[in-house]
Amino acid sequence: MTEPPRREVLLWLVSVALLAALPYALGPYWQQLGFRALQLLTLAMAWNLLAGYCGQVSLGTGAFVGLGAYAMALCGNWLGGALLVPMLAAALVAGAFAALVSVGLFRLRGLYFTIGTLALAEALRILMVNLSVFGGASGIVLAGVAPTFYWLYWLALVVAAGTALLTRLVQGSPYALAMRAVRDDEDVARAMGVRTQRVKLATFVLAAVLMGLAGGLQALKLGAIEPYGAFGMRWTIDTVAVVIIGGLGSRWGPYLGTLVYVALGEALRNVPELHSAIAGVFLLLVIRLAPQGLWGVLRQRLARTAERSGA
Amino acid sequence: MPEAVAALRVRALSRHFGGVAAIDRLDLEVRAGETLGVVGPNGAGKSTFIHLISGSLAPSHGSVELFGQDVSRLPADARTRLGVGRTYQIPRPFARLSVRENLILAARHARLPAAAHGAAQVGRSVAGRCQQILERTGLADVAAAPAGSLPLLRRKRLELARALALRPRLLLLDEIGAGLIDSEIRALIALIQDLQREIESIVLIEHVLDVITACCERTAVLASGQLLTLGETRRVLADPQVAAVYLGTRDAGAGTAPASSAPRVVAGPAAPLLSVQDVVVNYGGVRALRGVSLEVAAGECVALLGANGAGKTTLARAISGAVRLAGGRIDFAGRSLGGLPPERVTARGIAHCMEGRRIFASLSVEENLLLAVAQRDRHAAAARLERVYGLFPVLRERADKPGTAMSGGQQQMLAIARALMSEPRLLILDEVSLGLAPIAVEQLYRDLARVRAGGVAMLIVEQNIHRGLQLADRAYVLAHGEVRLGGTPEQLRDSPALRALYIGEDSAGAADTGK
Repeated sequence: MTEPPRREVLLWLVSVALLAALPYALGPYWQQLGFRALQLLTLAMAWNLLAGYCGQVSLGTGAFVGLGAYAMALCGNWLGGALLVPMLAAALVAGAFAALVSVGLFRLRGLYFTIGTLALAEALRILMVNLSVFGGASGIVLAGVAPTFYWLYWLALVVAAGTALLTRLVQGSPYALAMRAVRDDEDVARAMGVRTQRVKLATFVLAAVLMGLAGGLQALKLGAIEPYGAFGMRWTIDTVAVVIIGGLGSRWGPYLGTLVYVALGEALRNVPELHSAIAGVFLLLVIRLAPQGLWGVLRQRLARTAERSGA
Repeated sequence: MPEAVAALRVRALSRHFGGVAAIDRLDLEVRAGETLGVVGPNGAGKSTFIHLISGSLAPSHGSVELFGQDVSRLPADARTRLGVGRTYQIPRPFARLSVRENLILAARHARLPAAAHGAAQVGRSVAGRCQQILERTGLADVAAAPAGSLPLLRRKRLELARALALRPRLLLLDEIGAGLIDSEIRALIALIQDLQREIESIVLIEHVLDVITACCERTAVLASGQLLTLGETRRVLADPQVAAVYLGTRDAGAGTAPASSAPRVVAGPAAPLLSVQDVVVNYGGVRALRGVSLEVAAGECVALLGANGAGKTTLARAISGAVRLAGGRIDFAGRSLGGLPPERVTARGIAHCMEGRRIFASLSVEENLLLAVAQRDRHAAAARLERVYGLFPVLRERADKPGTAMSGGQQQMLAIARALMSEPRLLILDEVSLGLAPIAVEQLYRDLARVRAGGVAMLIVEQNIHRGLQLADRAYVLAHGEVRLGGTPEQLRDSPALRALYIGEDSAGAADTGK
């Protein structure tokens, strides 16, 4: 697209290498923080693709994270401590669930779609609480695997780096234009020959797969899962907040948003009673003062400087 | 051509909305290789017809056949790949895509994917073709701008460009000539005649009859969802039946003759109601108005004439507070309007009926009207409703229907009626005849004459020079953001300078004959 791809590939390689080396330099606190940031980044990139590019504002992040976590735990216990196959299962289950519910959800548009997705996580949570096969309300303990902090961190890095690569490829492909057209006017996109249902389904499933992976990471980290946390509203809210703060529908928004959101969370760590309130006020300020997100502000600044130096 | 497969054939096609049939048992054929004109009064079902062919709407009954294939059950995207390209009467660009991206999207999903070439090859040919279309339709200079930032007429141009990017076999054009002045109409006719060599068949819905007569051998007239007549264009337009439902008298003078004898308030030279002095407006880096001054007296009707892009709409928006002034001042009833937001300007007594109607789709006709009544005037709402229903009886019949479920002409009436609901002292009307059937324009101007007779001062922005001069007491002609001429209709009508300014250089001949 606009930037030279070679420079971006280099940036990606250097970032991944630097981040991969981080556990050698920094202790468990930073590894844990890095894990959280990378997990959040993965969710943000996935949701940005779905809501920012394709216009499908889903509030069902928690459903796919939870399913990923459950798939990871169940499959991991069944296979006795394997890692790769359970992670794939997490992705697969979340993706399959997205494909399944899309049959009903895609009959809804706009706000109705959003409300429909909001019900997903809630429904799954209630289902899991009442299904004793899956441990009911007390959940499942992961037998066998207990990865160390840095292994968890590296795994999260692999998932986030893969997501970054994948979403970037999608954003640079002809497909992205069709997604943005669906976002701007679905009916007209259709009249221009776009198979809109296919575009929406592919994006929805892709986002769910990525969210499922983030959920798998969560199960690994906690070593035990229970329905209230796995399908919690927190996942949905954090993801939306990160993307809105960073810049909805922009390529760099999720990175910037994650950085700011995690930093804000750490700065307020010692005042947990104020954390949510301050984060909320911050979000409101961004929406009011920078509706394009922080990336939008930054880009405007950069453009202005470039203009000045050019003139 | 009896042996050729028809580009389009509809059989017993019907579409109902609620209990109303927008298209009612329509049988029609578009022959391969022809450009069929479709005219008819507002609300005849012309746009619905396009929706049914392109697949945006499913028919209630009947069938649609494209190039010999029954497509009644195919979705819109599949029909597009079969070779249907359409425009929207009220433009619907992908607002956050650039103009160029709008075209590229269409080009990529059009019929005949060039599978033989490599992907890069296809990419290049798509980009090249889109660039060509942009240049041809006069959009090359805004190719990188977000489509949502374009003004109405350029959006209409984009509709055409995007449809061309689809490389259609059957092109459906829905009123792309609306709002253009004479020289632009001539350019459009040349463009369509050019397209006729490349595109197999075209369906041309148009109220600008010059375009129909220049481009269409056959013309169909729709009325109340049914085919009134279909035949050779000249014969159809001469049909007295067509005159009765669609064309009206076609004589602008006859329609407004009673208006000139209507009582009018004579302008008091001492204190104008509206005074615009040296107003400057910038849009981005462009100076849209370069020091415009004009006056409107109480009860006076002033027309603003000029080519598209001359600054008429900008001036109207500046008066109603929708754009900021970079210089000059605007006084209304002796007080400055300096910097007031639109709602405060409305409260002072200026109502602005904006270009493009802006009817609230989710509100009923009556709710749209009541919305314009200020809170403190609630007690007077019923009386005002009565008054506007008296002026526009059709709105009373449709009072509980959604505002956008009506025909274009009715929506325009609603927009004007809504502006009158605030009981303004000055009514600004921006291109109110845009997209209306001739008979509806005639009706509209009769209604406007009645409104003026009621003592409301009017500032009308109009591309139809004859209509504008008929109604107005005085007129100003804008060009390139400046007032070039001003005077009474009598002074202006015969002025060769007006013709030169308004019609463009290529009509010097017309100016001569005007003398």
